[in-house]
Amino acid sequence: MSPVRNIGRRLARRRASGSGILQPLAVGWLVVLWILLWGRVTPGLLVTGLLVAVIAIALFPLPRLDVEGRVRPLPALLFGVRFAWDVVRASVEVATLAFRRDQEAPTAVIGVPLVTRSDLMLTLVSEVLSLVPGSLVVEIDRHDAIVYLHLIGVRDREQVERERRRARETEARMIRAFGSPTDRRALEARP
Amino acid sequence: MIGVLVAHALAALIAPWLVGRIGLKAFPVLALVPAGAVVWAAANTSDVTAGRASESVHQWVPSLGMELAFRLDPLSLLMTFVAAGVGSLVLAYCGRYFAADEQGLGRFAAVLVAFAGAMIGLVLSDDLLLLYVFWELTTVLSFLLVGHNADRQGARRAAMDALIVTTFGGLAMLVGAVIVGEAAGTYRISEIVANPPGGTTVSIGVALLLVGALSKSALVPFHFWLPGAMAAPTPVSAYLHAAAMVKAGVFLVARLAPAFADLDVWRWSILVLGLTTLLLGALRALRQHDLKLLLAYGTVSQLGLLTVLVGQGSRDVLLAGLGLLLAHALYKSALFLTVGIIDHDTGTRDLRVLSGLGRTRRRLAVIAGLAAASMAGIPLFAGFAAKETAFDALLHGDTVDVLTLVVVLVGVALTAAYAWRFWWGAFATKDDVPDRRCTAPRTSFELAPALLAGGGLVLGVGFSAVDALLSRHADLIPSDEKPLHLAGWHGVGPALGLSVLALALGAVVVLVQRRLAGRPVPAEAPRRLVDARVAYVLLVRGTERLSVAAARATQSGSLPVYLMTILAVFGAAMTTALITGLPWNVELRTWDEPAQGAVGLLVVAGTILTLRARRRLKAVVLSGVVGYGVATLFALQGAPDLALTQFLVETVTLVVVVLVLRRLPSHFTGTVSSKRRRRVHILIGVAAGALMTMLTLVAAGAREAAPVSELFASASKLAGGNNIVNVTLVDLRAWDTMGEIAVLVVAATGVTSLLFLRRRSRAMPRLSDPAADSPVWATDPATSGSGPGADGRTGSAGRATQGGSAPVPGLLTVVQHAAGGSGTAKSAERWLVAENTLAPERRSILLEVVVRLIFHTVLVLSVYLLWAGHDLPGGGFAGGIVAGLAFTIRYLAGGRYELGEAAPVGAGLVIGLGLVIAVGTGLAGAILGDAVLQGGAWKPDIPLLGTLKLYSSTLFDIGVYLVVVGVVLDVLRSFGSEIDRQIDEERHGRTPTVERAPGSTR
Repeated sequence: MSPVRNIGRRLARRRASGSGILQPLAVGWLVVLWILLWGRVTPGLLVTGLLVAVIAIALFPLPRLDVEGRVRPLPALLFGVRFAWDVVRASVEVATLAFRRDQEAPTAVIGVPLVTRSDLMLTLVSEVLSLVPGSLVVEIDRHDAIVYLHLIGVRDREQVERERRRARETEARMIRAFGSPTDRRALEARP
Repeated sequence: MIGVLVAHALAALIAPWLVGRIGLKAFPVLALVPAGAVVWAAANTSDVTAGRASESVHQWVPSLGMELAFRLDPLSLLMTFVAAGVGSLVLAYCGRYFAADEQGLGRFAAVLVAFAGAMIGLVLSDDLLLLYVFWELTTVLSFLLVGHNADRQGARRAAMDALIVTTFGGLAMLVGAVIVGEAAGTYRISEIVANPPGGTTVSIGVALLLVGALSKSALVPFHFWLPGAMAAPTPVSAYLHAAAMVKAGVFLVARLAPAFADLDVWRWSILVLGLTTLLLGALRALRQHDLKLLLAYGTVSQLGLLTVLVGQGSRDVLLAGLGLLLAHALYKSALFLTVGIIDHDTGTRDLRVLSGLGRTRRRLAVIAGLAAASMAGIPLFAGFAAKETAFDALLHGDTVDVLTLVVVLVGVALTAAYAWRFWWGAFATKDDVPDRRCTAPRTSFELAPALLAGGGLVLGVGFSAVDALLSRHADLIPSDEKPLHLAGWHGVGPALGLSVLALALGAVVVLVQRRLAGRPVPAEAPRRLVDARVAYVLLVRGTERLSVAAARATQSGSLPVYLMTILAVFGAAMTTALITGLPWNVELRTWDEPAQGAVGLLVVAGTILTLRARRRLKAVVLSGVVGYGVATLFALQGAPDLALTQFLVETVTLVVVVLVLRRLPSHFTGTVSSKRRRRVHILIGVAAGALMTMLTLVAAGAREAAPVSELFASASKLAGGNNIVNVTLVDLRAWDTMGEIAVLVVAATGVTSLLFLRRRSRAMPRLSDPAADSPVWATDPATSGSGPGADGRTGSAGRATQGGSAPVPGLLTVVQHAAGGSGTAKSAERWLVAENTLAPERRSILLEVVVRLIFHTVLVLSVYLLWAGHDLPGGGFAGGIVAGLAFTIRYLAGGRYELGEAAPVGAGLVIGLGLVIAVGTGLAGAILGDAVLQGGAWKPDIPLLGTLKLYSSTLFDIGVYLVVVGVVLDVLRSFGSEIDRQIDEERHGRTPTVERAPGSTR
């Protein structure tokens, strides 16, 4: 099979499936990335960046991204600050654990049921939870939106519940910051 | 002169197309090319005869002193006439000889034309090494020609024999050529002959050259390959084994005789081997029943005679030899072509079956008669004139010459006898044999042999016409006697008496043989005391045994043994270097900044932990720590390019090794059998490490010359780039890079071919495959380690590391739902193309979403690295790996079908494209600039956009980029997709009766 014909066929298939329009958001991001990489803005770079972005997306098509929701500045800021604080706090905790040689740090795996029904939000929440030291997402149940967190330094039921609460609060902050309307309604409906 | 060779090369290139187009008619068309060479040679004849040899010299590899040096002098002119003239006639003859539906005719035509070109190139070469190149070219091409009927085992074996024997001789000749060339200080043959070097070394070199010449000309003890090569189609035999290739040896002897004929090693080996061959070949010829074999042994015999004559070392004998060379080319090829016609028209070459052909095919009989008469040495024919000159010349020599004369006389008599046997056998009407039926004669078929045989008569009568030309070469050997001349008739004298005596002796031999033929023939030929063919077979078999034994002795297949051998050799060599390098100038510096010390500690810790690791995965990850640590050191040292490349390579390696680990036991087991051996290993390892440390310290302090880096910095400015590393890779040291990517490709291909039992291009998994319905990476309750009773819907956190890990009951068993699996949930949100092919428990929404989000970003990053490489950190290699990583994450997130959909082109295609671009850029540099891979820059001003900087080296870098992407794809396809497929196949193909103990390792 000749590669040229092959590419032609793929483009045709894309057009038939109705996703032939290159997504402005994706292309825009790639152009911005291109400019950032070069570190300067010139007309030439804008044109080449556009060219590279369009070719990359056209040659290697992936399913369409449907991003709902928009960024709300104030909750986003709140989330950012809180996330930064969480990272610092958890870093100190884990560092303390590492230097305490008297006993082995107790660990646990807990399931945290989330509110969101969006894959993207599920992934982002998992990433954020994993970025915080001491907790790591080891498994995601996509169907029921349950993330399984591996925790370090939890001693009792109370601490487990506290971590579960923290994870759910993180999700809530993220939904408020840039969640879809569906997710926000679900959040409000949660007891 | 080069034009003649180029014409042949081009003709060879279009020959298959031409044959495919117009069939057999292509042969006469192709014959025009060597015919043109004959015309060219004829146009130069008067100049060359007058002593004005023309030369054509082009530089080839100046650093080795190799030149494309060609020279048209009397000897090369004579050989050009023979090679091109006979070649042209034989090509034309092929058009009638072959059937239109003959297999592989296009290739045959191409090879035959190429052979003619190689032969002409051989005789025109004035450089010993160039001559060797053409020499081996004729060997290889003759291999293809002899093996034309590749479906016959005999043909294949004969081709192989000819190849081995002549290549053996050729290699000896190469060594000889180098020895002689180095001793003479030049490889130009004309200069060597003008001022021959002397000494023992040169004698050895000349002896080696003779080995090449004698093996090519099928002299004893190499004579056996020539009759075997009669498996070739008859036109090939007529050309290669009568006129052209076997004459190459005679040509070389004639070429070098003026310089080296007075060496003892030359004189005696030529005389003894040549005369032995003369008699042996002639006697064997008399015993043959196959006309072609008869001619073959006759050729062996005549080649012996020719070698003796041209190598004997006196002017007149050399002249006679050259005359006989010409005469032999005419009559022997005419006879071979006659045999071809007989074989073609009657279906046999056996003289015991042939009868009555003289009456039905009178014209052919006359043609063959003319040629045979020339071979027998009947007066007025060319063979007569040449042989009589030889008698005359030898008669006036010393004792050795007279003894030689006696043997030659006997040989000539035997030649006359088998010439008669040939003609009689082919055409006579035999009383006790029924007449052989024969198809009607075709004039065009008999044209070529008629011209050749008639040429023998014309030459015989008018031999004096070529005397001036041949004498000019013979005169290279000084002679104080009155020089002899070639002529059709020398008048009555002792030489004529000898000629008549030879003919009479020949008649006696014929009569005696006829008397003997009445006796019953023994059923089996008597065993000969020394049979060269048997010796050869034994030798070849012995060599094969030896190589197997050697391989078994050295290639134990044990990695520790290999490693220890390498380290021991390295240690010994470097210790010697260290000791001879005394005194050392070691300057210890702790670090430039403390971070280096910290990273160094990390690397050391990682190394120690790697060594102590008992689990493979752990060892791999820890060695990754070492790699990343070293990369960090590069970065701290101010080498961002090195660091970037190291980080990327380390990452790809980690992925690949993890993919491979799936097929290995999880723990290192059974590697070291005893404590003692383990201690030896530790000792060698520690010693090698200590040595390396010492070496680094000493080497750093042993600088004598100015650092080359300053030179490189200015050179890269000159090449128009700011990134020294990249400019070095793609411009200053582009040859090295070319070699490296070639090695990369070879390694990847080797790996792939080990894993793929099928062709790799077919093995690309696509969604459209019917097999795509069965889930990928499905866990197997027996092996995945979830403990007994698991329902198969279980997974563990570690992806792609299943296989062989011992089960730990109760650890992290999470029941999963078939979200987006092959069942109902297909309408769920989609992130990738082929993630639905994965087994549900193997899917990771995290990976899918992240890969979807960053895939294009990574691709753009790779393009940036490629583009920016000339001035900033990056380059084709780094960019290629980044792009490869983009495909790697697609594979890791979506399995082999995802990879197939992400990159639906064959890895081989990508690699090939990259190589073509890289090589093409290099060649373009050679065509546009002065040297291969020389860079050029193009900076067009584009309105509004500014100046675009384009370097030819950027194009080269694109080639590198593609090669690297292709290699990564190749590795993913083999270690990833193909192993997946094999695992799945084993799982599905496993019969349920085979029970595994739960948790047993593979």
